Amino acid sequence: MAIDKVTLEILKNHCRAAAESMAFTLYRTAHSTFVKETEDFTTGLTTPEGETFATPVELGATWFVGLNYGTVIRMIDHYDEGDICMTNDPYSGHVCTHSPDMHIWKPVFHEGEIVCFVVGHIHNTDVGGAVPASISRTLSEVHQEGIRIPPAKVVKKGAFNHELIDVMLANVRMPEQNWGDLKAQIAAMNTGERRVHEMIAKFGVETFKAGIAGLLDYAESQARSIMATLPDGDYFFDDYLDEDAAGGYPCRIALTLKIRGETCVLDFTGSDPQIESSVNMPTGGQPRHALLMVGFVYILYSLDPTLFLNSGVCRVADSILPKGTIVNPEFPAAVGLRTLSVQRLQGVIFGAFVQAAPDRLPSSPASGGPIMNVNTIDNRTGRRVMAAIGAISGGAGGSPRGDGTEGSGANASFLKNTPVEINEAEVPFKILRYGLTQDSGGAGKYRGGNALEMIFQAHAPNTRVTARNRDRSRFSSWGVLGGRAGSHSRFILNPGTNHEVDLGNVDILSIGPGDVVHIGSGGSGGWGDPLERDPAAVLWDVQRGFVSRAGAEKSYGVVLKDGAVDADATARLRTDLAGERPAQEGFFDYGVNREVYEKTWTRASYDALTELLATTPVHWRFFVKHRVFEAIDQISPDQIVGDGSDVRAAFAQVVEAFPQLRAAMAA
Amino acid sequence: MGYRVGVDIGGTFTDFCAFDEASGALHTLKVLSTPQKPGEEVIAGISGLNERYGIRPEDVTYFTHGTTVGVNTVIQRRGITLCLFTTRGFEDVLEVARLKMPDPYDLFSGRPEPLVTRDRVFSIDERMLFDGSVDEPLDEASVEAAIEGVRSVGGEGVVVALLHAYRNPAHEQRVAAMIKAKAPDLTVTCASEVWPVIREYERTVTAVVAGYVQGRVAHYLGSLQEALASAGVPAEPMITKSNGGVMTAEIGKQECAQMLLSGTASGVIGAASVAAETGSKAAMSLDIGGTSADVAIIRDGTPQYGIGEVIGEFPIYIPTVSVTSIGEGGGSIAWVDPHGVLKVGPESAGSSPGPACYDRGGDRPAITDAFVVCGFLGQSALGYSAVSMRTDLSRKAMATVADKIGMGLEETAESVIRVAVSGMYLEVSKLVSRHGIDPRELSLIAFGGAGPMMACYLARELGMREVVVPRVPGVLSAFGGLIADIKNDFIRTVYLDLGAGEALDEMRAVYGELREAAMAWIREEHGYDGAVTLLHSADMRYRGQSYEIETPLEADWIDDGDADAMAGAFHAAHERIYEHADADAPVQIINLRLVVVGTPPKPKFAPVESSDATPEPVASVPVYYDGGTHTASVYARGDLKAGQTFEGPAIVTQDDCTTCVLGGFTATVDASGNLILSREG
Repeated sequence: MAIDKVTLEILKNHCRAAAESMAFTLYRTAHSTFVKETEDFTTGLTTPEGETFATPVELGATWFVGLNYGTVIRMIDHYDEGDICMTNDPYSGHVCTHSPDMHIWKPVFHEGEIVCFVVGHIHNTDVGGAVPASISRTLSEVHQEGIRIPPAKVVKKGAFNHELIDVMLANVRMPEQNWGDLKAQIAAMNTGERRVHEMIAKFGVETFKAGIAGLLDYAESQARSIMATLPDGDYFFDDYLDEDAAGGYPCRIALTLKIRGETCVLDFTGSDPQIESSVNMPTGGQPRHALLMVGFVYILYSLDPTLFLNSGVCRVADSILPKGTIVNPEFPAAVGLRTLSVQRLQGVIFGAFVQAAPDRLPSSPASGGPIMNVNTIDNRTGRRVMAAIGAISGGAGGSPRGDGTEGSGANASFLKNTPVEINEAEVPFKILRYGLTQDSGGAGKYRGGNALEMIFQAHAPNTRVTARNRDRSRFSSWGVLGGRAGSHSRFILNPGTNHEVDLGNVDILSIGPGDVVHIGSGGSGGWGDPLERDPAAVLWDVQRGFVSRAGAEKSYGVVLKDGAVDADATARLRTDLAGERPAQEGFFDYGVNREVYEKTWTRASYDALTELLATTPVHWRFFVKHRVFEAIDQISPDQIVGDGSDVRAAFAQVVEAFPQLRAAMAA
Repeated sequence: MGYRVGVDIGGTFTDFCAFDEASGALHTLKVLSTPQKPGEEVIAGISGLNERYGIRPEDVTYFTHGTTVGVNTVIQRRGITLCLFTTRGFEDVLEVARLKMPDPYDLFSGRPEPLVTRDRVFSIDERMLFDGSVDEPLDEASVEAAIEGVRSVGGEGVVVALLHAYRNPAHEQRVAAMIKAKAPDLTVTCASEVWPVIREYERTVTAVVAGYVQGRVAHYLGSLQEALASAGVPAEPMITKSNGGVMTAEIGKQECAQMLLSGTASGVIGAASVAAETGSKAAMSLDIGGTSADVAIIRDGTPQYGIGEVIGEFPIYIPTVSVTSIGEGGGSIAWVDPHGVLKVGPESAGSSPGPACYDRGGDRPAITDAFVVCGFLGQSALGYSAVSMRTDLSRKAMATVADKIGMGLEETAESVIRVAVSGMYLEVSKLVSRHGIDPRELSLIAFGGAGPMMACYLARELGMREVVVPRVPGVLSAFGGLIADIKNDFIRTVYLDLGAGEALDEMRAVYGELREAAMAWIREEHGYDGAVTLLHSADMRYRGQSYEIETPLEADWIDDGDADAMAGAFHAAHERIYEHADADAPVQIINLRLVVVGTPPKPKFAPVESSDATPEPVASVPVYYDGGTHTASVYARGDLKAGQTFEGPAIVTQDDCTTCVLGGFTATVDASGNLILSREG
C-alpha cells in the first residue's frame, strides 16, 4: 500500500520523535563525561533490512544519517523478541568504523514479525588496547586498538548475556563507564521500541510499514530534486593529509564526482594506498557507506535544509572505492583516528561539489584543528590531573551568502569548547590567550572565517599535551573563484622566544614549568575575488581586528586613512594589484605549499603512481609509495618532468632493488 | 478593601486581570497593545477597567506588570551603543561563544552578530586566578585607554567582565569606579554583579544583554510610574520577573536582566497555581497564542527553572522559569511542498496580517483558519470584538491547499490541524525525554488565545488523560503576576570538594554573606516586612563531570556541616534525573544558591456557584473531526457551574478564548471553576 502525503508528514514527526527521544534518553542516562561532552553517539530507526529511516538532528554526532545496519543484522542468524545485539569490530560488516564505537541494534516485533530495528552507537572512552582511550595515530593494526566484539547478542530474550559482557569489561580500562554507557544504550533501545509500538497502535502496522518505505522514498525524492539543480559533468578534486605517518609523506584523497541528472557517482580512484597509521577509513567497499556520505549529506542539506535526513538521501549516490586504498582498507589496517581522514574526505567532497554550484556553496572550512588534552601534576596536592581542555576548531569558508563564521562552524558545528575558567579550575595551568587569529581567514569577496587559537603555560614538569586530529600545518584550506586559501594550523612551543620550536604536525608533546604552548587551527578559505570585496567590509574587519591594516592593503588593496577608506588610494592600489596577477588563475587557490608540492607531484605523476601501485600487492603499497617518494626527493625540482615518467623511473628502481617485491608481484 | 490588578503586555493584546478583594470576584479585559507607545495600553486598560467594571484607579491597591520592552529592545536591536571591557587576551569571548552552531547539518549555520561587536571590546591589563588571588594587578593606565576607546566609538555604556571576577570582583569594581569618576555619563554594568557565576561566556553574555537593555527598560519603568501616578493609581507598581516572582519597579530599573522573560514566566506561575488547585502532581502548561506555542513542566505545583533561556538570539543565564517553544502558534501557515507533502509552519501569519479569517489581507490558511473551517471557531467573536471573523475567507484560503493535496475542504482543514499537532508532539517528546517524564502522567493546563482550542488534539497525541482549562485562560499571565511571590536569587561560585572540613566552613561563611545580602534586598531595597522564606541549594556534580545538578539543601545541613546529608541529597537527585548514582564517587560543589521569597497574602477567590443540573447549551453546531461531521453543543463559559458535566464534542466560548472539547472527552467544572476535560486512557 502507498501512504498518503498527510499521514506521511505526521508519521515523519512521530518517527523523528522516536529517534530524538532515544537520543535524549541515551544522553541523559549515559555515565561517561566523554559522551556528555562530545555527544559522540547516535540513535536511529532502520527498516528490517537495515536502512536508517529516522535519525535525531538535535543531539548526537552528524555522521550517521546514511548508516546501513544490513550487514550486521544479517550476521545474526536468528532473532527472538527481547534480543539486543552489539558489535564494535570495524571489520565485521563495516557498520562500526573504529573500535571505541559500540553499535547496538534491537529488533522490534509485531505479532511475531520484525517490523523495524532500533539502533545506535556510543563512543566509549576506552575499549582497551595499546594506549589509553584506544586511539593513537601511531598504531598500525586494528588488534592494537582494543577488544573487538564481532556481532553478538548482548541481551537474549530480555536477559543479559553476562559471559560476553564480562569478557568485554575484563579488557577495558574503565569497566564501570563502559557498563554504565551500555545500560544507557539499552535504555535508549527500549525507549525506541516502545515508541514504535505506540506508532503501530496509532497508525496500524500496514500504514507504519508503508510509512517507513514512504519516508525513505520521500528523502530520496527530495535528494533527487536537489541533485537535478546541479549541472551534469565530471568534477575532479583532490586534497592531502599533511602526513601518512609521523614525519611521513602526504596522503592524497582523490575524487571524480560524476553528476548525471538526479544521481551521481563518487569515484575515488587515485586515492592513496592504505597506510600504516590509524587514519584509514574502513568502508568495506560499500558504495553508500556512512563515512563516505557525511560530506554528501552536508552538501545536500545545505542546499535545501528542508531535506528529511535518512538513508533515502544516499540512494542517489554511488561510489567507486578501489581496494587497499585509504578509502577502502583491507584487514587489519588500523582505523582508530579515521576522524582526521574523514574530515579531509568531507572537504574533498565539498571541493568537487563547489565546482558544480560555485554560486551556491562555500569554500573550504578549516579542518585539522585538534581535540586537546593536558596531563599534568597539581603542585599543591601532588595529584596527577588529566583533562580535555577543548577543541581548537576553525571557522567556515566564505560563500556567496557572506563571510564564513569565525572560529567554528561548517562541518565542525557540533563541537563545543570548555570555558577558560573551567579549564583553569580543573587543570593547574594558565591560559594566556583564547580567541581568533588575525589575518588567518582566506581573503575573498567573502572572507573565510578566522582560526581559533589558545596559548597556555604549564606549571609542572612532565606535563603531557596531546593534540588529536592535528593536520593542515602544511596544506591549507582552499579558496574558490579568486578567494584565497586560509592560513596553516599552528603548534608552537615557546613562541617569540629564542627557544621557539615549530612543532609541525606533532600531536604529542612533553613540556615543563614555564613552557608556553601556542595551538591554533587553520584559517578557512575565501570565496570570490578579494579585490571585489566592499571596502567598507574591509574597514569593518580592520576595526574589529579580524584583518590587520597591512592585510587590508596586501590582500584586499584597501587603503585606510584616519579610520576611513581612502577611496582614491584604494582604487590605485587595486589597479596595481590586479595588474601584478598572473593572466590565468585557477578555480581554486590551494596556498603556496601545495603549489610548490604539485610542481613535483603533478596529477600525471599521481596517475602514474596509482596505476603502478595497483600492480603491487596491498601489503606492499605503503612501503613502495615511500620508496618512490624518497627517490623523487633525490631529484632536483628543476629536473622534474612531471608527466609521470619521473614516477615510472622511480618505481622501476624500487622493483629493481627488491627482489621480494618482484616475487610478490609475480605470485 | 481595593483591587489587585495584573497586567501582561503581549505582541498583539495587553491582558488585564483584576481581583476584587471585597467580593473575591475576578475580572478580565484585553486591549490592543501599542508597541510604538509602550505604557499607553496600560493607561487605556486602567480606564477600560473603570468603564467596564467600575474599578476606580484610586482603588487599585496592588499592581503587577509584565512587559516585553526588554525583549523587544534585544530583538529589534534598539539598545544603547554598548562597549565591553575584558581581560587582555580574551576579547573574543562573544565572537567565539561556546563554538557550537545551532544547526550542525547546515554548512551555513552561524551565530548572530554580538550585541557588542569586536570593535567595541577593549582590553584591560589585569589577571585574577581561579582561587581569587591576584596574578597581575590592575593596570589603571589600561582602564584609561579603554575609556578613551569608548569615547572614540561613541559608546553610551560599558559592561565590565573580567576573568574569574565571580571569585574576586575587586578589579571589576575598581574599573567601574574609575569609569564612574572619569566618564559619569556612561552606564556601567559589572558582570560579577549581574550574576556572579563561573563560565566566562555565560556570565559575559548575560551582563551584555542586561547592559544593552538597561537604559530603555529603566526609562520605560519611570514613565509607567509617572503614568500610573497621574492616572491616580496609588499602588507602587510591581514588575514580574523571569524567575516567576515580582519586584518593585524601582528595583527593576537597576536589575532589568531579571525581568526579560517575565510574561512567559508569569503565565507558568498562573498555570502552576491551577495545577495546585486541581491537585496535579505533574503538569505541563500549554500556552498558544497567535505567534508562539510554549510549554513548561510543573511538578508539585512548582515550575522547573532553567538556565540559558533565550532572549531574541542570545542566551541569558540567570534563573528563569524554563519554557520550551513547540511551534509558532495559531498563525502558523499551511503549505504544500514540491513533493506534495502537507506542511504547517514555520512561517507564521503572526498578528498582521494574521489568519485569513481576520480579513486583514492574509490569504494563506493558518491553523486558526483550519479551526474555522472545521466549525470550531466563528461561533462568537474573538478578543472582545477587537478582531472579527470572516469564515468565508478561511474557506477560500484553505481551498488553495485542498486543491494541491486533492482532499475536501474540511478534510484538508483537519489534516492541517493533525500535521500541526504532530509537530508539537515532536517537540514535546524531546522535552519529556530530556527530563525522563512519561507524558501520559501529565495534566495539560491550556491557556493563551489558542491553547484551549488545540489542547484536546495534543492530549490525544501524547496519550494524556486530562486537560485543564483555567477560568481565565486568555489572561493567565496577567493572573500569574497577580498571585506571584516577591522573589530574588543569589549565587556564589565556590568550587569545593564536599567533605573536607574547610569546605564546610567556607560554605557556612559564604551562606552567611548570601543570607545577609538576601535579607537586605527584601527588607531594605524592596521594603517588604512580611514573612520570609530562604531556600538553599547547591550546584553539585561528581568530580570529572562537566555539568551540575541543582540540589536543594536544608539550612540545618549547612549550619551543622552535615556533608553526608548533602551528598545523599545529590546522589538521590542524580539517580532521579540520570537513573544512576555512585555513592562512592567524590562530589564537588560548584555554586551555592539562595532564593529569598516573600509571600504577600494571596487572593481569596469567591466560591464558584455549584449546580447538579445538566448544563444548557446555547446552540448546536456541526463540527468536523476524525474524518466526519459531528454535532457539537455550544456552552457559554459564564453559564457553567461547579459540578456540572457534559460530553464532547462541545465548544465552550468565553470572552477571551474558545475551548474545543473533542468526542471522547468528558468536561467537568471543578470547585474552583476550572474546566477539566478527561478521557479514558
